[in-house]
Amino acid sequence: MSRLFRVYQKKRGNRRTGSRALGSFGELVFFGLFLLIGCAGLVVMVTTLLIPEWRVNHEFVETTCVILAKQIGSQDGEDGTLYRPEIEIEYQIAGKQYRTRTYDITGTYSSGRADKEKILKQFDIGKRYDCWYDPRHPEVAVLVRGYSVLAWVLLAVPGTFILIGGGGFIYRLLHWGKSAERCAAGGKATDIFERRGRAPSEYPSVPVGADMTNSPGTRLKYRLPISTSATWALVGIGLFCLFWNGFVLVASYFVTGGFFGPGKIDWIPFLILIPFMLVGIVLIGAFIRQLLITTGVGQTFVEISDHPLFPGERYDLLVSQAGRLQMNSLVVILVCEESATYQQGTDTRTETSRVYEQELFRRESFEIHRGLPLEERFQMDVPAGMMHSFKSDHNEVSWKVVVKGDVDHWPDYERSYPVIVYPSSSDEVGREGSRRI
Amino acid sequence: MSDPYVAISFDDDAQEFMPGETISGQFKLESFDPGSVKAIEFSVLWYTEGKGDEDLDVHEFRRIEADDMNWSAFRRAEQFDVTLPLSPLSYEGSIMKIRWCARVRVFPKRGREIVAELPFVLGNLQPARPHAG
Repeated sequence: MSRLFRVYQKKRGNRRTGSRALGSFGELVFFGLFLLIGCAGLVVMVTTLLIPEWRVNHEFVETTCVILAKQIGSQDGEDGTLYRPEIEIEYQIAGKQYRTRTYDITGTYSSGRADKEKILKQFDIGKRYDCWYDPRHPEVAVLVRGYSVLAWVLLAVPGTFILIGGGGFIYRLLHWGKSAERCAAGGKATDIFERRGRAPSEYPSVPVGADMTNSPGTRLKYRLPISTSATWALVGIGLFCLFWNGFVLVASYFVTGGFFGPGKIDWIPFLILIPFMLVGIVLIGAFIRQLLITTGVGQTFVEISDHPLFPGERYDLLVSQAGRLQMNSLVVILVCEESATYQQGTDTRTETSRVYEQELFRRESFEIHRGLPLEERFQMDVPAGMMHSFKSDHNEVSWKVVVKGDVDHWPDYERSYPVIVYPSSSDEVGREGSRRI
Repeated sequence: MSDPYVAISFDDDAQEFMPGETISGQFKLESFDPGSVKAIEFSVLWYTEGKGDEDLDVHEFRRIEADDMNWSAFRRAEQFDVTLPLSPLSYEGSIMKIRWCARVRVFPKRGREIVAELPFVLGNLQPARPHAG
C-alpha cells in the first residue's frame, strides 16, 4: 500500500524543515548576494588599483619634476591611524606648468608611519627627479611606477566571494525545481521514460577495496594493509603536540614576564592558561605512549586466504607479531562498525556503533623473541545474515580485523586491518541456491 | 471530487525481494484533471535513516514530461518492471538504516508536488544491535 511521502519533516543537518522551494530560493538569494558582492569588489579593485597601475607602467609619459614640499598624509582607520607619503611636485608639459601632490597612482593609506618617512627621505626639496604623467590628463603624475603586491593579494577577497557565491549560485540554479531523485539520477532526463543506466559497479555502494589485494602475502594469498600506520600516528601526534605546547610555551612566556623575569606574573591570563597546559601535558603523555608502541612493539602483519569476503564463508587468517615482547595477551577479533556523519550547527560530527564482534584468536602469557616473530594461523567465519560493507556520503558500515596486544610493563596497542564484505552471493537471484523470501 | 493521489502496487503484493530479482508492478494517477500535470517521475531508490545525514541514490529513474503524456493511456495503470541491484541491501542497523522504495512524484502545473512511495525490503539481513562491551 502506498503512503503519502513526508518530504519536509527532517530533523537536522542538511535535511530540510520547511518549504523546499522557499529554501532553494533562499539559498539562491544568499549565494547570489555573495556573487554580487564579489563582482562589485572585483570591479572596484580592477578600476581603482589594477587598471591605473597598468596605465602608469604602459601609457604614462616620462618627464622631470621639481620637489616643492613633502609630508606624511594621515587618516583614521579601524585599527589606528593610516599613513601615505604626499610629495608636492611641479612639472611642465607643452609649455604649461602643472603642480600636484602625489607619490604613487593608488594613493592608498596603510599602517606604518616609519616606512613612509623613509620614502620621504629619498626626495629632497628643490631637487629634480623623474616623474610620469598621464597623457590624457596631464595634471595627473606619479613619482614611482611598478605593481604593488598588496593589490594582487587583495584580489583574493572578491575572488573568494565570487568562487563561493558563483559556485553555490550555479549549483542551486542547476538543481532548481528538480526532485531529490532527479538530482541523484543525474537530473537531465526529459524524454519520455528516459532511464538512468545501471551503476557501473556490480555491487553499488560497496567499497571496491583495491588496495587490500595489491599486496601478496608470504603464507596466504593477500597481506592486509593496516588502517593507520604506527609511524604516521606518531608523526601526527608529535606534530600536534609540538604545535600545542609551542603555543602554550609562548603564551606562558608573556604572562610570566619572560619566565619570572623583571615583571610579575599576570595571574588572570596565567589561570586561563592552566587548562591549556594540562592538555599539553596529556599530549606529551600520548606522544610518549605512541613512541613506546612504535619503537617497542614490532610490526604486525595480517594475511588472509581470499578477499573480498562473503557472509557465511570461512577464511584462513595468519597473524604475525614481531618484536622482543613479554606478552600478557594477544587477541584478534573481527569487528563490524556503523558510522554516521551529521552536521550539527557548523560542526561535522561522526558517531560510530560496533554492531558485531567475534574473537578469532587469543593467546595469553607468552614471550616473543627478537628475530623470531609469533606466527599464528587460524580460521575466520564471516557470519551469515550480517550487513555487507557499505559506504555513502554520510553513512558507512565497515568490517575490520583488529589485533589487540597487552604487553607486560608496556602500553597496550591495537592495530586495525580493514576488509570488505560483499553481500552473500547465495541470496542473489540467478545464482545457485537463489530463492525468494 | 476527491483529492488527487497516486496509487502504487507491486504484483502479487510482494514486499520482500532478493538482489537481482525483478520487481514488477504498476502506478496510477487517481482523480487528476487531464492536462493538470506538468511531469511525472518514477524511481526505485534507497535512502538512509538514522543519526547521520540522509544519503539517497536512485537505481531506476524515469521522467515523463507533459508534452509526452498520453492521457487516455494514463487513465490506465502504468506498468513497471525493474531488475534490482545486488547492493545495498535493506538494513536495520543500530545508528543507520537503509530503506528501499518505489516512488512516484507528480508535478502539477499549479500547487504542491504529490509524492507517493511504496517501501520494500531488498535481501534478508538480520537487524543489528549495538555490541555489548
